Amino acid sequence: MSITLDQITKRYQGSPVVNDVSVDIGDGEFFVLLGPSGSGKSTLLRAIAGLTAVDHGRISLHGRDVTYVSARDRGVGLVFQNYALFRHMTVADNIEFALRVRRMRGSERRERRRELLRLVALEGMEDRLPLELSGGQQQRVAVARALAHKPEVLLLDEPFGALDAKIREELRRTIREVQRELGITTILVTHDQEEAFALADRIGIMNLGRLLELGRPEDLYARPATRFVATFLGAANLVLAQHTSQGICIGADPVLALGSTGSAGRDHEVVAVLRPEDIEIAASPDELRSSFLGLGTVEQLLFVGANERLRVRLNNAASSGPVVTAADSNATEALLEVTRTQHDRRNYPVTVGQSVTLGVRRLHVLATPLSSFTACASTAAQAQAISEEPLLVQLATRMKTRVSTRVEPALQAPGASASAAPFAGVAVINTDPEAVHTVQWLLQQGAEAVLLLPHNAPSPTRVLIHWLDEPARRATLAVAASLLRHVSAEAVYVGIMPDAGEAGRPDAMRSLLDARSEAQAVHGLEIRTELGYGDVAVELTRRLTERPDQMLILGVSDIDVLTQRFTALLSRMVNPMLVVWQPGESPQ
Amino acid sequence: MNTATGKWTFTQPSVLPGFGLTFGFTTFFLSAIVLIPLAALISMAASSSWHEFVHTVASDRALASYRLSFGASLLAASINLVFGFILAWTLVRYDFPGRKLIDALIDLPFALPTAVSGIALTTVFAQNGWLGHYLELAGIKVAYTWIGVTVALTLIGMPFMVRTVQPALAEVQRDLEDAAETLGANRFYVFRRIILPIVVPAMLTGFALAFARGVGEYGSVIFIAGNLPFKTEITPLLIVIRLDEFDYHGAASLGCVMLVISFLGLWAINYLQSWGRRRTTATGR
Repeated sequence: MSITLDQITKRYQGSPVVNDVSVDIGDGEFFVLLGPSGSGKSTLLRAIAGLTAVDHGRISLHGRDVTYVSARDRGVGLVFQNYALFRHMTVADNIEFALRVRRMRGSERRERRRELLRLVALEGMEDRLPLELSGGQQQRVAVARALAHKPEVLLLDEPFGALDAKIREELRRTIREVQRELGITTILVTHDQEEAFALADRIGIMNLGRLLELGRPEDLYARPATRFVATFLGAANLVLAQHTSQGICIGADPVLALGSTGSAGRDHEVVAVLRPEDIEIAASPDELRSSFLGLGTVEQLLFVGANERLRVRLNNAASSGPVVTAADSNATEALLEVTRTQHDRRNYPVTVGQSVTLGVRRLHVLATPLSSFTACASTAAQAQAISEEPLLVQLATRMKTRVSTRVEPALQAPGASASAAPFAGVAVINTDPEAVHTVQWLLQQGAEAVLLLPHNAPSPTRVLIHWLDEPARRATLAVAASLLRHVSAEAVYVGIMPDAGEAGRPDAMRSLLDARSEAQAVHGLEIRTELGYGDVAVELTRRLTERPDQMLILGVSDIDVLTQRFTALLSRMVNPMLVVWQPGESPQ
Repeated sequence: MNTATGKWTFTQPSVLPGFGLTFGFTTFFLSAIVLIPLAALISMAASSSWHEFVHTVASDRALASYRLSFGASLLAASINLVFGFILAWTLVRYDFPGRKLIDALIDLPFALPTAVSGIALTTVFAQNGWLGHYLELAGIKVAYTWIGVTVALTLIGMPFMVRTVQPALAEVQRDLEDAAETLGANRFYVFRRIILPIVVPAMLTGFALAFARGVGEYGSVIFIAGNLPFKTEITPLLIVIRLDEFDYHGAASLGCVMLVISFLGLWAINYLQSWGRRRTTATGR
């Protein structure tokens, strides 16, 4: 491996800007770090270059641990967005800078400089000053300069950011050619997905300091695992759908019959990704060549060169309840974004206001168990207040999902009968001294996860994860992985060993090791592990007390354990807590 | 000015009209404030005989005062070159509690009446002063020696240095240093090859300003200098003494000498600067 990052963490004022990033980059690979501004990608690049010290983790280049090696001894070449050329030196002096530092002989220097100028197609420019060159030429000089000392790794920090479209494409091609010719391992940081597609062997997508997913561009586009990647890489409609025994239902009818992939069991809510180009528009259901989605009204038409872009309101959305989120807006509206080729447009032209039939050619279901939130309280006013809690609003916005409210008078009087409707997504309640009973009741009613929110809870910077019994592990990790992709927080699995005797020790140790490897293998989530001793409830409470900005994700498979031992913990009015319930598998 | 077309115009076309008006103001202002008074000074000096003139300006006492005035000013400006740079560097590069306060303190020598600075320095550096007391033990006398003169001139010149270097330093992008570091340069190399070439023009300007200010300084120096003829007497003081003796011609002659030396010094620095600029920036083809 050329570059190995192992759990790199960098914090600014306590909150992580780069959060447990691990990745292996192969020899000669062109790796693109893609993410919005502020996602930590540039910080990560600077850490690899040695310009920023990391708080945690290890960096190896070609098998050499360079975590504590200074930038000048790492042997990397770095190219900056603003070129960072030495303006008082000629092009030749700029390129030879690294060689002069290394006291290379004059003749060798000139030889190497000529070679580099040929590589970036700037022959004959030696004696110019940087300010006499165009932006594109300056960046070529910067690339040549970064390659002069034959670095093992080339790092490019938004190198095309300051250039116009045409030059950008030309330089992109040059960089790709240079990279191929030298076979140098390269990391490029960008926020431009088009750039990432054009250059990358593999793309790593970062958001909120985490490396969310990595893979080949086409795989990430076709099968994103997270909402963020689905919407950041190309446009996508995120649709809340029902997973039933018949298939995926948006509205009343199943849109796609699932094969064996669908897990048997209760109906539950899922998040489906509909790419705009996978939606078909026709005059009637009979003319559809794809699976029927619903009826809609055209709201907007936009001609964009090769394609036509439409916004179509899904008419059956309101009645059946799924919420559709347009890719580029956070508003939870039942608006679907659709793109059609000019060929399709000519075959069936539409106008604004026209009623159309929608079909789906392809639908991808995200693996997230956190589909949406339901604020539950005994009165409508309370439920509304919960749905407006800042932390909940933040989570829902980042997840591009909805917060619905649900009034359950039975919450006040345990034992009273409840409405039979199943719970969609995560139930959210306010923390109060009786919280444990509310949780118990909600879980018994079929909620799979309950979020306990203290009033005005801050956004957590650290999330503790623990499950009380092994059957709850899988569900807890799935929920944690999904949640942690939407908060800027460090994840720590807390393994707790009982004090008394040696009996429980091997178990606790095993689950500690399992936790990390399973999080990594199944969910691509990096978590830290810590070990505690003593009573589980006491130990967790102690850790939560250390800092107020912590959240707890607690997995449980036996509700009785919760009510007997965790009453005090769950009624803590400080930390948000997410209780995940996975009933123990009954012997078959 | 483009003489080829036979007309004086802007070197670059400008959206603002009124070359005639602004040029008129420029010449009027320069004349009224600078050129005419200087001409008066020269004519006053010229009205004395050549023998008298030489006798005044080349007297041992006058020569000693030039040496002190220009020597101490040069030394003070040099001290400021180093320490003013460090001050500016600290203010630009680091954020620490009280940074704003120190930034404001820099300007104090600008605002303070120079006599006040002189009295304050004398109080501190006199044999029984806070610092002078200890320096005395170490065998160093500051007040009433040339060292005292230098200290006063350093204080007076410091803001000129800091304020000219500060914006230049702020312009040195962090990226340049980072780039140099990834290319393998150590800190000293980065400083010498990257930072210095960028800020040297500003440092020269600051040096020139501090030097010019030092040569002309009067108020603060006369308190701490002790004003012993041949030893700690600066030229401006000598001029005042001549004036007190109603020897206007003598005063004007000394003034002329200062004028010429100062002008030559500033011109040299300006030339150096423009030479440096030509080397470091594009000529714009």
